[in-house]
Amino acid sequence: MTDVTIEQLGRAPLHMLELWGDPKAAAKRIAKALGHDLPKVGKAQGNVLRLSPTTWLVEGEAAAIEAALGDGGALTPTGGGYERVRLSGPAWRSLLMEGSLFDAESAQFAIDCVATTPIDHVAVTLRVESENACLAYVPASHAADLQHFWRLSAGGLPQS
Amino acid sequence: MTGQINFTFDGRALTAKPGQTLAAALLDNGIKLVGRSFKYHRPRGILSAGIEEPNALVTVGSGGRTEPNTRATDLFVYEGLVATSQNRWPSLSSDLGSALQLVSRALPAGFYYKTFFGPPKLWLFYEKFIRRAAGLGPAPAEIDPDRYAQRAAFCDVLVVGSGPAGLIAARDAVRAGKKVFLVEQDAELAPSLLRDPQEIDGKQGRAWAGEIATEVRTSGGRVLTRTSASGLWDDQFVCLSEKLVEPGQVPVNGFTQRYWHVRAGEVVLATGAIERPLTFANNDRPGVMLSQSVRTYVNRFGVVPGKRVVVATTNDDGYLTAKALRQAGAEVIAVLDSRPAPVGGDSEFAVFNAAAPVTAKGGKNGVTGLVADVDGTTQTFACDLIAMSGGFTPVVHLHMQAGGKLDWDEAAQAFVPGASRWNVRTVGLAAQPAPAETVGATGAAKQAFVDFQNDVTVADLDLAWREGYRSVEHLKRYTTLGMATDQGKTGNMAALDRIARREGMTVPEAGLTTFRPPYTPVSMGALAGMGTGEHAQPTRRPALYDLHAAKDPIWLNAGYWKRPRAYPIGAETLAQAGLREARAVRSSVGMCDVSTLAKFEVQGPDAVQFLERVCQTTVGKLAVGRGRYTFMAREDGLVFDDGTVWRLEENRYLLTSSTGGASRMATWLSYVRNHLCADLKVSVVCVQEHYAAMAVAGPQSSAVMAALTGEEAPRHMSVVEAKIAGAPVLVMAASFSGERAFEVHFDASHAEAVWRAIEAEGCCPYGLEAMELLRIEKGHMVVGTDIDGRLTAGELGLGKMVSKAGTWIGAATLQRPDFADPLRKQFVGLVALDGGSIPEGSMLVRFIGGEAEGHVTGSGLRVLEGGSIAIGHLKGGQARHGEDLYAWSPTRKQKAKVRVTSPHFYDPAGERYRD
Repeated sequence: MTDVTIEQLGRAPLHMLELWGDPKAAAKRIAKALGHDLPKVGKAQGNVLRLSPTTWLVEGEAAAIEAALGDGGALTPTGGGYERVRLSGPAWRSLLMEGSLFDAESAQFAIDCVATTPIDHVAVTLRVESENACLAYVPASHAADLQHFWRLSAGGLPQS
Repeated sequence: MTGQINFTFDGRALTAKPGQTLAAALLDNGIKLVGRSFKYHRPRGILSAGIEEPNALVTVGSGGRTEPNTRATDLFVYEGLVATSQNRWPSLSSDLGSALQLVSRALPAGFYYKTFFGPPKLWLFYEKFIRRAAGLGPAPAEIDPDRYAQRAAFCDVLVVGSGPAGLIAARDAVRAGKKVFLVEQDAELAPSLLRDPQEIDGKQGRAWAGEIATEVRTSGGRVLTRTSASGLWDDQFVCLSEKLVEPGQVPVNGFTQRYWHVRAGEVVLATGAIERPLTFANNDRPGVMLSQSVRTYVNRFGVVPGKRVVVATTNDDGYLTAKALRQAGAEVIAVLDSRPAPVGGDSEFAVFNAAAPVTAKGGKNGVTGLVADVDGTTQTFACDLIAMSGGFTPVVHLHMQAGGKLDWDEAAQAFVPGASRWNVRTVGLAAQPAPAETVGATGAAKQAFVDFQNDVTVADLDLAWREGYRSVEHLKRYTTLGMATDQGKTGNMAALDRIARREGMTVPEAGLTTFRPPYTPVSMGALAGMGTGEHAQPTRRPALYDLHAAKDPIWLNAGYWKRPRAYPIGAETLAQAGLREARAVRSSVGMCDVSTLAKFEVQGPDAVQFLERVCQTTVGKLAVGRGRYTFMAREDGLVFDDGTVWRLEENRYLLTSSTGGASRMATWLSYVRNHLCADLKVSVVCVQEHYAAMAVAGPQSSAVMAALTGEEAPRHMSVVEAKIAGAPVLVMAASFSGERAFEVHFDASHAEAVWRAIEAEGCCPYGLEAMELLRIEKGHMVVGTDIDGRLTAGELGLGKMVSKAGTWIGAATLQRPDFADPLRKQFVGLVALDGGSIPEGSMLVRFIGGEAEGHVTGSGLRVLEGGSIAIGHLKGGQARHGEDLYAWSPTRKQKAKVRVTSPHFYDPAGERYRD
């Protein structure tokens, strides 16, 4: 029996937000536009995921950020390059340990936590949506192969 | 335990009790002869009861599940198990190879090195025999049908070994709030408590172990049985090899093994100790067994391996075996104790002190007696089992693999773990082995074995020593001591003792060989994990993959990418299809998927400054809507990639580079951005997969683009925004084919619509084969062959394009005097003079057999006119146009006479780029 569901959600508008120089001023303007601060490293809030100290992934509508950005950084569309795959069910954390080197079973990898890590040689960005689901942003070229890997692996997960 | 399990050994139907190993079941069925030794084909039985077994190796399973060299002591019998003995012909009992024992004098240590030398041609002759003799069981010829999982895991404490010491360590860690992994290579926890049942904390050993295991599990930890810790590396990184089913067994869910990569805060090694054999003549005969192992068979598996037993020991443990045998109904004929005086006053047996075995009597079906030295006199004992104990060797392998030091324990005559480099500690018998004496070898040295699996005798060690081998590392390799799959677990200490005695020094002075992973053999499948078959490497599918697949192209694995090489029509060959497609581009218009090109958006007020650090050409002079060819150098000034750069907006650029170098370029740009140019106001984002891209090339391409976009096509090296099939696109006028051409870039989500719209204009799809013909004829370079990271821009013929501002990385290094050497290689063209093709990769020489002065990097032909052409690197090539050379490939036995030319064979003035 497989305790994890693998569901390809398809592509969505995605933008890479990068702030340069002293990012505080731009971050402040963006926070005002969004109604919340830009998330910290390893975290997500709303439709924004922090990927590195100076970069964020914005899913969906980015007009508010673009309007607030000024000359503090840049928005670059990237949505054509990613498939979104949702892993859900009680075993999603266990599945992410297969072919991986990241501790997805850690309690610290909690809701709205973000991590980018290689899985079966593919760099995947993960966002914990709920205790029951995690969203994976998978490079589109690897999506079919990785989902096949996940489906095979889901059939042989160890009992906890 | 109830019921019985059916299995076969060499075709003979047998039964086993549940929980028995194959070794236990064979002994239970009265079978003592299990295998033949590697070198001399000596009859071998069962020495041990664990993973250290050197003798009882069998082949199990069938077809792709066949697993040779499986230790019968490490295989739990399952219904339908098929086991076969190895290294014998025609049968185990009547093995013709055993005749080699008669000529064993001709097969001494170093036989291989002393025999197989001479001219290289002789090796081709030797090889057949060496290959036939190598190994024991045959490797399976069919593909393994099962899966092997690989999995990461993290814990606070990893305990290796579930004996009492390991269980206590696990329990203490759990109660301290730690997440614990408890690993046991046996099928049951605490196997030592099954061998020697005892109460702990008022409970039977098995129940006590079970309670601790439950405690580990309920606290969030894991308990893994049938799992061997095969390697320990820096920072407590441990690899575990878990058997989900037994070797050769059909798995329930398709997975046969799981390979764990565990990162632990602390590693506790409770790995115990391995009993040592005694070294005497014929100590390898079936019926000569390790003392503790005999106890395991008696107390755990309910098997009494002999009725009349002699126990030979150097320590107290042997007496426990004597007691267990007597309780099981066997007759203990004698206890031979090497120690000079009685220890502990145990008088229930006939104990002989200052006694040691000298020669075992008997044959292939078991021993019949033992000749012993008892305090200087020779005595003979009639027996059918010899249980021997030469002391205990702590399992320090994992400790040492991770850089741990070893100390010498004089009382135990054994190496024990010393200082550890990492957070690793050893507990239990592995840290404090029981005291034991060491006794030297006795009996005929040629029949006294130290390494059972590789047939290394005391005589072999002595010979190597006489021939001057002193270092244990050299001696190991010369005699093959400890180099079998058991890694000398039972024999190494006896060998070290022998060497030390010959040298007149102590064992620690003689030294020890290095322990390396894996501790026990690991299946190749476990190391490969899921990376087999279609997952042998990651597969990258371009956005247009399904559309290509519908045309059933000839595919090319370009790195991890699946790319169409050609789209044959009917019975066309690759060459025919490629040439047809290339001619379509030269004469009308073609379309090619170039989505895999590396692409980077560079934005910000400092974008130009950044790009002029990365690119060797100027960038700042580009007007909005214009682009140019560019190339990039490393710090050493050598070109490693090329592409184009386009100014899309005032402060927004698109940089493209090669497909093959995409990952390297992404890393390079990240390094430059974050380390060399950290203060710049610039954003660099890889958009390789965001943009799908198609090349539309040929004299009719302008008309096609105008029809598609409704606007006049941009002039060469200009870019415009437009729409195709309703999708926003960037139309960049650039050519890799030598014809008027465009690259159309667009959000990959629209790939199908755009492709179909372009195809509807009558464009001929072409693949990489045609692209190769077109670009070679034009003299365009590709990264990896023509641009191989060894030539400067000038040597590639790009010198005039290099920015004189010198802001680019590598500019300073390029001033090195060596780069002024006129005999450095340079990019050239080659024309065949004798009508044949020019072998790709061949050497460029002045005469056949001459020194290589360069090589052919790409070979093709004139697309419309025919005739072989090529491009390559040649020493001082730019000054050698007109010179005749040979392109020579001695390994392929191919050659072609060529003339050095300019590499631009087609439209050198670039007139065809313009409408």
